[in-house]
Amino acid sequence: MIMRREIKHFLYGIAVLLLIVAGTSVAKAQNASDLKLNEILVLNDSNSVDDFGMHTAWIEIFNSAYNTVDMGGCYLTDDLSNPTKYWIPTGDPATKIPSRNYMVFWADNHPTRGIFHLNFDLKNAKTIAIFNADGKTLVDKVDLPSEHKPDITYGRPTNESTEWVHLEKSTPGANNDYTKKKSAGESFVEFDPYGIGMTMIAMFVVFMSLAILFVIYKNMGRFFIRRGAAANKPVQSEVKVSAKHSAEEMSGEVNAAIAMALYLYQSELHDEENTVLTIQKVSRNYSPWSSKIYTLRKSPR
Amino acid sequence: MGNFFNFVIEHLAQFLQFTAFANMTIGHVIMICIGLYFIYLAIAKEFEPMLLIPIGFGILVGNVAFAPGYQIGVYESGSVLNYLYFGVLQGIYPPLIFLGIGAMTDFSALISNPKLILIGAAAQLGIFGAYCLALALGFSPTEAGAIGIIGGADGPTAIFLASKLAPDLLGAIAIAAYSYMALVPVIQPPVMRLLTTPKERLIRMKPPRVVSKTEKVIFAIAGMLLTTFIVPSGLPLLGMLFFGNLLKESGVTKRLADTAKGPMIDIVTILIGLTVGASTQATTFLTMKSVGIFALGAASFVVATFGGVMFVKILNLFLKEGNKINPLIGNAGVSAVPDSARVSQVVGLEYDKTNHLLMHAMGPNVAGVIGSAVAAGILLSFLA
Repeated sequence: MIMRREIKHFLYGIAVLLLIVAGTSVAKAQNASDLKLNEILVLNDSNSVDDFGMHTAWIEIFNSAYNTVDMGGCYLTDDLSNPTKYWIPTGDPATKIPSRNYMVFWADNHPTRGIFHLNFDLKNAKTIAIFNADGKTLVDKVDLPSEHKPDITYGRPTNESTEWVHLEKSTPGANNDYTKKKSAGESFVEFDPYGIGMTMIAMFVVFMSLAILFVIYKNMGRFFIRRGAAANKPVQSEVKVSAKHSAEEMSGEVNAAIAMALYLYQSELHDEENTVLTIQKVSRNYSPWSSKIYTLRKSPR
Repeated sequence: MGNFFNFVIEHLAQFLQFTAFANMTIGHVIMICIGLYFIYLAIAKEFEPMLLIPIGFGILVGNVAFAPGYQIGVYESGSVLNYLYFGVLQGIYPPLIFLGIGAMTDFSALISNPKLILIGAAAQLGIFGAYCLALALGFSPTEAGAIGIIGGADGPTAIFLASKLAPDLLGAIAIAAYSYMALVPVIQPPVMRLLTTPKERLIRMKPPRVVSKTEKVIFAIAGMLLTTFIVPSGLPLLGMLFFGNLLKESGVTKRLADTAKGPMIDIVTILIGLTVGASTQATTFLTMKSVGIFALGAASFVVATFGGVMFVKILNLFLKEGNKINPLIGNAGVSAVPDSARVSQVVGLEYDKTNHLLMHAMGPNVAGVIGSAVAAGILLSFLA
């Protein structure tokens, strides 16, 4: 009966695990869901040049995850009805985007020039999209404006922004937000130059954390004390019997042996030797060299 | 023949340029003296020998002056010491030490008298006192946060936070934290005596009740969930601390617990001590900032002791006679386990030879470990 129940629990566990794995694999295949289109240049007159020295349109992708994401296997397209238009080859280390980093693809319609050169350009593009490795799941898309100025990029003003605007400065392969920023610490100290605010907030949080533990353990302690008292409350007739038994069963020698064992265990005797070698002289009144019995085999009896 | 001798002399002179004698500065000599003093304290006075021997020897290793560019020093990429130092820089060693601490800590004292947990929170005042002082002395916010954590009296936490907030000051902060942890028996007693009355020092506390295994297991799990839900940035330290404790208290993973509290913590202690010591190269360590850090570290320990003792005195105002807490255990709210609890015991015995406070002081002491990890998480959330 117990075995059956255990098997049932085990099967439930497996089923839940499979559901979780299935759910996450759809949602987070390759972690490509963390990729974002970040900046796009449609008309490149005198902006960045590609590895062939050509001024061509480009698309920048940002890895918003805090781990490396491999773009290999994903798709880039300028046509939502054809999501698998450009397949990014797999197995190439160059397609891995480090955490919070960027990758630029050249939209020059010259795919023979390398894996970062797409098989479409942006002259008539209305939309740019990234699709997951399954070719169906849309990862990110952006609708391009109808008009573009030469060398002016269209992108997110900051990495986290959902809004797209024409950017004053093009930053292929770099953060679009190039303004100087204060660190979290600097911002904090601006409002709290003497640390009083930090002390108040932090001490409140530390107290709150430990006070919650206190409340829980105060009540849990009461519960366990009550439960222990109920469980240990013997029936009147059993009191005498158990007292008699314990007196009989636990002799002084047993107690002494337990105490000694505990003492030895706690003081961990023999775990650390003093590493002093002593040579005890063995006194012999004879020498094997002078005794024939050490050189002769014993005669069989 | 003359050319040959010139060749030999030139190369001997060149070799001399590579020796430590040629590259030695007065700073290196001072640091070597400090290292030797640490080793002396550890061996002759038995002050935290497990920490001071590796750190002291590490200081010697780090201050053998060498010509740069040969991948020798702890700061030179690709050197062996640099690889070992990686665990410090990336905050890998401290959580592993916390795993071992969890596996060797018995939270029974805390569970049996939960109000002692709050003393562990009050003593964190030292952290924020030092933070305020550091800001006043002109340290940047991140540096002030990293210096403040010295007041938690927790070496691994100090290293963890300093590696995230102010890696440049890591050596000085770690040395200050461990030095003052070793000096807890010197720093705390005068503050404790100053803040308590003779009557208060004689308060006897109820003996702690027996805590069941179930309670200990629940404590490890609930403690982790509750504290990290509030301060997720403390997860590396708190997660490992409670995980180690669960290994111990579950009773079914004795081998894992033994490894965590035995060989593993020993290995990590050796590595962390040696590399932190080696990171105190005179060229980077002997600065006015380091002097400031040491001064602030001492102040933070005093403030922390003040916070713990005063909190107990205030708490006693609301407790009934018989339930009162001896304020001499207030100092144990810092997480120097078990040194500060031992200080409570020693000072308590000075006034009443039969009043043993050690078991009671262990409660706030282990709460201090949790409290300082939570405080580190808060500083990390606000300043990183």
